[in-house]
Amino acid sequence: MLAMTHPLEELRDAALAEISSAPNEAALDAARVRFLGKSGTISAWSEQMKTLAKEERPVVGKLLNQVRGAVTAALEAVGEKVRAAQETGALASLDISLPGTPNELGALHPLTQMLDRSIALFRRMGFALAAGPDVEDEWHCFDALNTAPDHPARNEADTFYLPDGRLLRTHTSTVQIRTMESAAPPIRVIAPGAAFRRDEVDATHSAQFHQIEGLYVDRGVSVADLKGTLEYFLRELFGPDTAVRFRPHYFPFTEPSFEIDVKSKALKSGEKWIEVCGCGMVHPAVFEEVNRARGDTAYDPEDWTGFAFGLGMDRLAMILFDIPDIRLFAQNDLRFLRQFVS
Amino acid sequence: MKFSVNWVGEFVELPSDNEALADLLTLAGVEIEGIENHGANFEHVVVAQINSSTQHPNADRLSVCQVDDGSGTLRQIVCGAKNYQVGEKVPLALPGAVLPNDFKIKASKLRGVESQGMLCSAKELALSEESAGLLILSSEAKIGAPIAEVFPHDTILDVEITPNRSDLLSHFGLAREIAALTGKPLRPPGIAEPATSEGDSVRISAPNECPFYSIQRLENVTVGASPDWLRAKLDAVGLRSVNNVVDVTNFVMLELGQPLHAFDADKLAGGITVRLAQPNEKFLALDGRTYPLDPKNLLIADTQRGLAIGGVMGGEESGVSATTRNVLLESAYFLPSSIRRTARELSLPSDASYRFERGVDPGMILRASARAVQLLGEIAGATVVGATIVAGELPAPPVGFALRYARCDALLGVTVPAAAVDRILEGFGLEKLGGTTEQSTWKIPSHRSDLRREVDLIEEVVRVYGIGRIPGSTRSCFSAVSAADRVYDFEAKLRQRLVARGFCEARTSALVGRDSLGNGFAAEAVELRNPLSEDHVALRPSLLPGLLGAFTRNVRAGAKSIRLFEIGRAFLPPDAAENRRLVLLLSGSAPGGANWRAGRARPLDLYDLKGALDALGLGPLRWERAENANFALAAGIYSETTLLGLGGQLSSAHAGGPAPVLVAELTLPNELESAPRIRRFQELQRFPASTRDIALLAPAALTHAEILASLTNGEEPLLAEVQLFDLFNGADSANLDDGRKSLAYSLTYQDKNRTLIHDEVNAAHDRIRQRLQRDLKVELRE
Repeated sequence: MLAMTHPLEELRDAALAEISSAPNEAALDAARVRFLGKSGTISAWSEQMKTLAKEERPVVGKLLNQVRGAVTAALEAVGEKVRAAQETGALASLDISLPGTPNELGALHPLTQMLDRSIALFRRMGFALAAGPDVEDEWHCFDALNTAPDHPARNEADTFYLPDGRLLRTHTSTVQIRTMESAAPPIRVIAPGAAFRRDEVDATHSAQFHQIEGLYVDRGVSVADLKGTLEYFLRELFGPDTAVRFRPHYFPFTEPSFEIDVKSKALKSGEKWIEVCGCGMVHPAVFEEVNRARGDTAYDPEDWTGFAFGLGMDRLAMILFDIPDIRLFAQNDLRFLRQFVS
Repeated sequence: MKFSVNWVGEFVELPSDNEALADLLTLAGVEIEGIENHGANFEHVVVAQINSSTQHPNADRLSVCQVDDGSGTLRQIVCGAKNYQVGEKVPLALPGAVLPNDFKIKASKLRGVESQGMLCSAKELALSEESAGLLILSSEAKIGAPIAEVFPHDTILDVEITPNRSDLLSHFGLAREIAALTGKPLRPPGIAEPATSEGDSVRISAPNECPFYSIQRLENVTVGASPDWLRAKLDAVGLRSVNNVVDVTNFVMLELGQPLHAFDADKLAGGITVRLAQPNEKFLALDGRTYPLDPKNLLIADTQRGLAIGGVMGGEESGVSATTRNVLLESAYFLPSSIRRTARELSLPSDASYRFERGVDPGMILRASARAVQLLGEIAGATVVGATIVAGELPAPPVGFALRYARCDALLGVTVPAAAVDRILEGFGLEKLGGTTEQSTWKIPSHRSDLRREVDLIEEVVRVYGIGRIPGSTRSCFSAVSAADRVYDFEAKLRQRLVARGFCEARTSALVGRDSLGNGFAAEAVELRNPLSEDHVALRPSLLPGLLGAFTRNVRAGAKSIRLFEIGRAFLPPDAAENRRLVLLLSGSAPGGANWRAGRARPLDLYDLKGALDALGLGPLRWERAENANFALAAGIYSETTLLGLGGQLSSAHAGGPAPVLVAELTLPNELESAPRIRRFQELQRFPASTRDIALLAPAALTHAEILASLTNGEEPLLAEVQLFDLFNGADSANLDDGRKSLAYSLTYQDKNRTLIHDEVNAAHDRIRQRLQRDLKVELRE
């Protein structure tokens, strides 16, 4: 008896053989029904149990469980294999070179990208944003910025005026004044915005252009701080190998005043210095005028010093993105805008 | 202003090469905008005299000349020009000379006749861009002399002088600056102040506009051509020679910075009065034009008429001419703002007004006059008659003030030793009046009226000390998030969401043309008082016209699918109140166009616009039909009860094309400027949801909103969500008549405290179905 193979074991071997050679799920299902189904051949043994001798029952019962377990496991294992083969078989014929479902990305205007990059850099340095109106009065645009009453910039030939005598700001420096009027020092702000000049439009001039104004007023602010701040900004923007030089210049509202030139092999201008920024230490006369408007001495030039700067976004974008004509910015041609998908 | 390097070099020793000079000045704030070469610096080109000229035997257009090149023997030259007379002097290029463009001169035969060199035109020597015939030299030129002696080589600097530095508007002034920067000694021209006296012949009745006026009488003047050296100097900096008297006044202005004017003394009636013009007084200027003046304009007049618009332009009738014998030489100080206004009003900018409106050096006025008198004596035979007659007072010299060394260090962020500070300021001609180790008091020279307070001196220090020597510092301070920060971040988020949905950002001008105002979107706008062009006459009251312009441009460029947006300011009439707007425009085919997934290209429509707005995260938006003449379909777009703006489909007259153009313009909410909204966590649903569908046939006029309102009227607390998943009408299906449409909704039921059982879901669903039938008279489908 022991040497002999039990019929259940024969049944098991037959089932395993059939299962392992099953070509598909249908054949597997047929095998499942034939062996383990309600009237399956293995299930039939459960019925036969009660006909067995009492001492035989546990032995056969144990064997029956083992056989049923082995067949079930085989059904599962082979089923998994067959299903996987079926799945990959179906996908094997898929043409993965077909284009994906169309889903176009739009693009930010290159000026916005320039502004975003610049703002991100200044925020790293602890600058908050400030804002002021495009339509300004002459006091905020000129008087408060130490610009003489007969200064040529005020002329109707250079500045747009409204019928009520107000004007379109010719620079974002107006926001310096608005910020200091409404808050006491220390101040650390940048003000991105539009400015307007009555220029004939050509490849480098536009009636409307975009600036980022900067203002830092604190105790002990020096030319060294101005230099460190703008050197960091320009090297982050144009690359670590960018040469930056400060050239003394003249603006009514800063003293000393500087223009900044950069030179970088990464730019098309290469070995040529190109001007990118006007800046300087806030003129004490500006603080004095702000104090007069505030009616206090919050900005006592003996206690507080500061630096201010103005960056031309159109010009920086033209340099950085190698854009030859400022008029392209206002044309909004999709063929132009789509070049700057980022 | 253009400067001759040779001329500047007369007053100070210059750096050995021009690049070094340009860098020195540029880094000190005197920006060099251009460097160009001037003069004829050629070997083997000499001055020659034409002794005879005969017709070439074999060529009608050529002549055969015998010229004297100073070697003792005559040279035979074949020449094609006709513009000379025998006896005149011209440049001769000898064999071996190399002219511009590598033109090598050799002895050769021209049509069988020997030619031992070439007679040259100005163009051939690169002295001018165009020339007709030979360059005829002055009779003074020495025969045989190298041409470089007649046209000495020079370098011309084009210098940008900032408006505060009028003291640099002369060759001596620039030399003075270079001396201060390099520490080299300055060699001023040796001129003494002339003797002066006050007299009745000059009277000032406008002392504010003209504080000081002087006249010097000169007699026996011979007006004629200027000598070569004077013509060459003027030519080098781009001034045309007129005659010796006018040339001298220009020369002195270029040398010392003081504009002068010469009157023909014999054409004056009585003494000179410096006065304001009468209302409507006319003046005939030397440009031949008559200018209407008003009492703001300063006039130099005799007893009968105006002689000159003070500091701006001389008169036609009182100027120096070929017959002039006696001259009155004017040197004066005019109020800068008065000159600026007059020059601008009359559109008469001149070299003189340019200097007067920036302020001339009071210390140079009489010395400049003396310099001109000296030169006119030398080259025009003029004799001085009497002392210089003066009227008025010279402007007071700048007031001295103190500099604190510690303040200088603090502002620059670097320590500059007091001795170095003193040395720098003394280099600029400032005189130390006294001081301690902590501070010093300084007297300011008359030519530096721009130095008015301590910080101006600190600027002089840093210009010479060199900003390159100041190490950059990276000090910072913390700042709070501002309202502007929040607005920027919000707008950046909107931009990113739109870009992610395939929109491109436009930036159109805040200034719009009258044509875009006329199109109905913006009939009212705040117009500029002084527009420059028809394209920029008013502030945009809406962003739509600008974006439509961009749309039109793109259609013309062949774009098939256009999705644009802009975020910017609109300016509302009547007071140009600024208002932040978002505007969207869609037209053409849906993203991807015709493609293998979607099949044929689908035109973008109103629901694409709605979808784009819904994805902005502005909360639920409600559309209500509105009337607008520009729209074929217009709707007000609401957030709860607040009207945000207008959207819809433009009428094809405005769209300018066959494809529908969908637009929306929203005013961005103001509450962004206050504290940001914080989202609070809500517990996740733990129990499963059940869904049931409803399909119905409804009258075509019944809206989705009406059906939705009935579905979600609040009577079924278990109903969590309703989704429309199918819609078609008679046009889509032959089984449906035109007056009806078929809709299918998926309804989701859920309770947050327990799993729902089938029966209660079915009961709720049945109640909803019955309500639809009863309230809306729709036909339910199985």
